[in-house]
Amino acid sequence: MKSLFKRGFNRLDSVFSLAFTPEWNPMYQLGALSFFYFWIVAITGVYLFVFFETSISGAHASIESITHNQWYLGGIMRSFHRYASAAMGICVTLHLVREFAMDRYSGVRAFSWISGVPLLWLLFASAIGGYWLVWDIQAQYIAIITSEWFDWLPIIVDPMASNFLNESTISDRFFSLLVFLHIGIPLALLLGMFIHIKRISNTRTNPAKGLAAGTLIAMLLVSLWRPALSQAPANLDVALTDVGLDWIFLNPYPLFDSWGPGALWGVLVGLSCLLTILPWLPSKRPQQTPIAVVDPDNCNGCGWCLADCPYEAVTMREHDYKTGHQQSVVDPDLCISCGICAGACPSSSPFRHVDELSTGISIPGFHIKELLSLTENKLSQLQGDCRVLVYGCDHGSVLEKLESDSVAGISMPCSALVPPAFIDYVLRKELAEGVMITGCCEGDCHYRLGNTWMDQRFSADRMPILRTRVPREFLRKRWLGVQGSKQLEQEVLQFQKDLTTMADEQSQESVHA
Amino acid sequence: MHNWKRYLGQALLYALFFIPLAFLTSQPLYTHQADDMATLKIAVRHAGQIVGECVAVSGPQYDKLPKNMRPPEVCPRERSPLNLALYLDDRAMYSAIVPASGLHNDGVSSVYQRFSVPSGEYQLRLAMNDDAAVEGDTWSRQETISLQPAQVMVVRFKEGFTIK
Repeated sequence: MKSLFKRGFNRLDSVFSLAFTPEWNPMYQLGALSFFYFWIVAITGVYLFVFFETSISGAHASIESITHNQWYLGGIMRSFHRYASAAMGICVTLHLVREFAMDRYSGVRAFSWISGVPLLWLLFASAIGGYWLVWDIQAQYIAIITSEWFDWLPIIVDPMASNFLNESTISDRFFSLLVFLHIGIPLALLLGMFIHIKRISNTRTNPAKGLAAGTLIAMLLVSLWRPALSQAPANLDVALTDVGLDWIFLNPYPLFDSWGPGALWGVLVGLSCLLTILPWLPSKRPQQTPIAVVDPDNCNGCGWCLADCPYEAVTMREHDYKTGHQQSVVDPDLCISCGICAGACPSSSPFRHVDELSTGISIPGFHIKELLSLTENKLSQLQGDCRVLVYGCDHGSVLEKLESDSVAGISMPCSALVPPAFIDYVLRKELAEGVMITGCCEGDCHYRLGNTWMDQRFSADRMPILRTRVPREFLRKRWLGVQGSKQLEQEVLQFQKDLTTMADEQSQESVHA
Repeated sequence: MHNWKRYLGQALLYALFFIPLAFLTSQPLYTHQADDMATLKIAVRHAGQIVGECVAVSGPQYDKLPKNMRPPEVCPRERSPLNLALYLDDRAMYSAIVPASGLHNDGVSSVYQRFSVPSGEYQLRLAMNDDAAVEGDTWSRQETISLQPAQVMVVRFKEGFTIK
């Protein structure tokens, strides 16, 4: 099932990247979009609250007044409030399914995964509380079903549903309680969202500006085309027949009518428990390689690995024996063995004058000296005048099919494990005519930040930089993801053609000279 | 890809996301109860009678107590459960023994039930025993009711059954 979802998301990613570009691709920013929608709901909610009347007779009437008497502002605010919350519900669900499909929920990521489960309950409770405040027939349905659902719990002694028997049993104070809940639960949701992202560095809580602008325009158009409206006012003296439901948030409610409260509790609590234990359930995912190891002899305390670690697994402390110096320390509970730190280490340079290449921090299963010997071995077997080395990652495009007499591929946990000095080394020593870097789709690195850091290292915006002396025309980056494996084959062929053309031009120039 | 094609693609994808979303926030309609059905609710919140008799206190332990702390009698706290039944045309819609709340069963007994019934005329019979020491019903009421489509009829208890 997971691979089916993964294939589906990979296809969706490609479609969205084509239309939005990878930078604006909403599929890569589902979490950030959820934050964005939350803020829209919060801001519009404050405006609506100013005009909302907390009483039985006033609740519905005040919202109707906002909707119709100031449709140009209050009405649009209300529509934004509703549609942003629904969009948040969909984005959060897609975010959950996507992280599951992409196998990004276990190990170090288990904390974010588990802390996300109660957020689902808080999100649904926030949305349902909002619909309750409108006090139309949908709110009447919610009031009756929710109270009956909670009354099933043995800890509830006095049935809550007795408050909604008929019009004579409901009081204005109930709306004060609802308003309190509708402010308190979203605040708890916000706190939970903060905890959810606490263990990861460089979190993205704002979507790309273009995507945010497009979303706002789309929501405005939808709000004008189909403004959010109330249904008929609630009347507890009249039984409910046909009700317009928000199927995004109220989809469990009809199950109450079919299955009863016990079964519904069983399904929802069971589903939550299943989600919670999912990171520990047996899975076909590959075993995590050993965590990063610091070599104090080669660590100069620069802190570049700390800056690049996507999971804040690296900290600095006083050096073991070099007075006044610092050294990196790896928290084994947080390290995800991506190797980005090894790529960031300035000691990971093959140009160093040492007998055996060593580095300040590395992954035991993929030490930098092993990467060097692998690089040299693979390149020594290549033939022809257009040799290309492709560095890729285990989660991106498949490299095996690329390999030929003139093309070598080296796959590693993350492409950002390759120190920029390696590219310089390969080209300077003329071990290959060209180097190509590939990996996960742009903005969707399996280890969150690998391809972003590589882009910044190459453009000299992040240490360690790719030196300016490296001719950029002999280097190509292609972030195509696993779905772009076939395209990568074409890209490599094209790269070889371009390299040949360049070589021909150079030889002609030298003849003329 | 040309920019206009890209923007067109974005517009299409925004539409594919927001149009179903706007639709699903209120449609399709859900039928909670058919048009010709009525709702009958029963909500009873009543404390049953105390189970057992008060016992006069005496004996050596009692005599040792200061005079102002000698209770004349000790009464049990436990309350009788409610044995409640609701019949429509002699068909038992609800019948249950509802224990008193609290760790010592000394609180009120609470019941809430909702029934969807076809509209029409019915013989409604309510029976309740709130005293374990008494055989048979201690409270009862029988009445012919006429339920209109979509009507909500509520049965409550306050020193006798009320139907509204």
